[in-house]
Amino acid sequence: MASSGAAELNEWRKTVAEFMITYSTAAALSLICGAAFIASFGGDVFVAFGTVLHTSLGTWGGFAQTLNKFCPLLLGSLAVAFGMRGGHFNIGVDGQIYAGAIGMTGTAFALEGLNLPWPVFVPLGMLGGIMAGWFWGFIPGILRVRYRVSEIFVTVMLNFIALYLVDYLTNGPWNDPMAGEAISLPIPSASELPQVMPKSGAHFGFIIALAVAVGMYFLMTRTIIGYEVRAVGDNPRAARFGGINVNRVTLVIMPTCGALAGLAGAIEVSGFHQSLLLGITGSEGAPNYGAMAILIAVIGRNNPLGVTAAAAVFAVLLAGSDSLQRSIGLPGAAVFVFQAIIVLAVLYVEARRKISVR
Amino acid sequence: MVDDIVPRVEMYGIRKSFGEVIALDGVDFKAGKGEIHALLGENGAGKTTLMNILSGLYRLDEGQISINRREVSIHSPLDAIEAGIGMVHQHVELISNFTALENILLGREGSRWKINLDAHRDSAEKLAANYGLSIPLNEPVKSLSAGIQQKVEILKALYHGADILILDEPTTMLTPQEVDGLFSTLKALAEGGLTVIFITHKIKEVLDNCDQITVFRGGRKIDTTSREAASRKMLVQMMVGERGTPPENKRPAGPAAALDGLPVLSVRGINTSAKWGVPLQDITFDIPRGLIVGLAGVSGNGQKELAEALAGLIDIDKGDIHLNGTEVSKLSVSARIARGISLVPQDRIEEGILPSLSLSENFVLGLHPHIFKRRGFFEQDTANELCRNAIQEFNILAKNEHVPSAHLSGGNIQKMIVARSMMISNKTGKNLMIANNPTRGLDIMAASFVHGRLNELRSHGAGVLLISEDLDELCLMCDRIIAIHSGELFGSFDGPDYDIYQIGFLMAGQKLETGS
Repeated sequence: MASSGAAELNEWRKTVAEFMITYSTAAALSLICGAAFIASFGGDVFVAFGTVLHTSLGTWGGFAQTLNKFCPLLLGSLAVAFGMRGGHFNIGVDGQIYAGAIGMTGTAFALEGLNLPWPVFVPLGMLGGIMAGWFWGFIPGILRVRYRVSEIFVTVMLNFIALYLVDYLTNGPWNDPMAGEAISLPIPSASELPQVMPKSGAHFGFIIALAVAVGMYFLMTRTIIGYEVRAVGDNPRAARFGGINVNRVTLVIMPTCGALAGLAGAIEVSGFHQSLLLGITGSEGAPNYGAMAILIAVIGRNNPLGVTAAAAVFAVLLAGSDSLQRSIGLPGAAVFVFQAIIVLAVLYVEARRKISVR
Repeated sequence: MVDDIVPRVEMYGIRKSFGEVIALDGVDFKAGKGEIHALLGENGAGKTTLMNILSGLYRLDEGQISINRREVSIHSPLDAIEAGIGMVHQHVELISNFTALENILLGREGSRWKINLDAHRDSAEKLAANYGLSIPLNEPVKSLSAGIQQKVEILKALYHGADILILDEPTTMLTPQEVDGLFSTLKALAEGGLTVIFITHKIKEVLDNCDQITVFRGGRKIDTTSREAASRKMLVQMMVGERGTPPENKRPAGPAAALDGLPVLSVRGINTSAKWGVPLQDITFDIPRGLIVGLAGVSGNGQKELAEALAGLIDIDKGDIHLNGTEVSKLSVSARIARGISLVPQDRIEEGILPSLSLSENFVLGLHPHIFKRRGFFEQDTANELCRNAIQEFNILAKNEHVPSAHLSGGNIQKMIVARSMMISNKTGKNLMIANNPTRGLDIMAASFVHGRLNELRSHGAGVLLISEDLDELCLMCDRIIAIHSGELFGSFDGPDYDIYQIGFLMAGQKLETGS
């Protein structure tokens, strides 16, 4: 036993060492490329990095922003990562976020008259969002199982459907006539997610997201269904030979992905916007959360804990992006170039390591 | 002996490595005119690599090659063809929509614009007649049997001017009758002055048919000997080397348990649809307790479909399957595993393992809904312990139970799969084990190990269905052999003494006149 414990520890050390090497190399590589990129536009590299970090971590308001961005990024990337582990490519996170937002808003309006206290009302609203997201994931799941339709196409199409549904609702039945734009009436205040840092505006979302990430880690490693998801994702044919009902597992995977992203949408409405509107799947001028979630899942190797770390990095960059414009006159989008550089650096370093192992 | 004959092929100090793996480590090899020379060795011994170098598929790292005493440098298959070397690969590499003649001409069409088919047909026919090869030249290749397709390959090599003919494991897809036909062709070719190099791992074929035998092990040549000087025991020892002698797996004749009880498996009139592969037609047979029943057949005649129908992986349209008297044909794969049907799948990589999951996670696949104490939870500790025990008991070479299963070698992966099936069998009351080609590609020691485990199951009173394309293996292991052809069962023979020609007759789909 003792020797096997030591072997296990050694194995673990090796894994950690390998992990550190890969990611520190990738980090160094992306810093160098990022610096070269900023310098080529005539910007001061240190000022640029300093400004981004100071804005997103060094000020209370910026830090609150970082936490608020972290929540949908983490939940969205978990929705991608869980699908990936099960062998399914979920590119419908944006649609699922919209679906969750609609579910939350609809529930809030439906229960408005009951005068529920917030500890009851908020969870019910979240549940509405989760269920709507679940349904948005169930559609590609059932089409996959019944008719072998690729979930990639279905989730992309559902993104558009959700987008235009929000467009319709915010212009039509739920429109706030006082606002004069495509936005719904505000949700009742008892359905608003409480703030952790009321002054700077950080809501409870990041705590929920962190708890969900830990829960997903537990689900993946310690439960039969998590094992079956990993088995199906790794080799569906062998999983079937092992008695696993692959269709049933698919009908767990896709709706769960939808539910995770749906929760993100519900939190965006309940914690941040307090209304339904187009554009809750990202900030102005930035790529949508759904696109970023795919990148985060790649960097985090589809592991809930890795994804959590990667989502934190992306949240910091995203929250600091506006300040680039102010400090060195680079457009905020430069940050997204930097994000893409990180992804490429990680992929490059991993590919190199794989080749050298062979 | 060898030095008396004019050497046609001489290879000296051949070295070849793939990355860090040394495939050939300074090998010398000589083959004379007019001889059938066997290259014998286990998988990975280097025999095929050496011949791939000779036929221009691989480039050597070091060493030299002479043909007819003249040093040659072979950089491509074209160079090899020019030097008079032709290779027939293990899997037929013909274009299936082309006729036999068109395949034979491929690469020799002559003019760029126009092919004089008739002239070619005449000379191909003449060549075929010379060596007694009867081939329907105008038939598309896909309509020809495996044995004829192989003859097409041989004729193609001859037509391209080969006087050194290399055949890589040529008998794996053939019935015993076709094997005999192949060897009489090869003998005629050798008598006509060709050098025939014959790659195989089957000792019996070597002792029956070859003039010279060179044994390989671990990328080295062990020795060359003449057939007269060789014996089975000596060849096995040379192939296996320091690892000792594999156990003989002798077991008492006759069934291990009483036959009058309920059969473990009783299959009545099952049919499957063509969408699953070869359709099964009216399959009926029993497997009594304590018996190993062998399913003989040329690959691709419904063996895989039958195994999968029994395991619940494909639906049956008609008929029923009883396990210990209970109908199971409507049950899921998982429910059948729980009742004691365990399957060693044909393709161990594609169907047997979850490559990036750990060995212990692989080991509990199939039983995972049943072996953990808390419902719905996957208990890593329990899985690890079970797997550690299996690693010890089955002597699986793995660093520990946490490594991804893809890191194991093929033989060790197969050991893990057999260990897993044994565990399923033991924990579900020792019922039915279906082993589909469980020793394919394994070395002698690993194959003998698998055989020992199947015998152990048998002596515990389980029923075993052993599917194999190797008739010798079936004759060694089985209490009863049934033959399958095009999804239909033909005849049933009780051991231990089998007439392999009679079985081969049925494998080819011909009904026995006399009955069995």
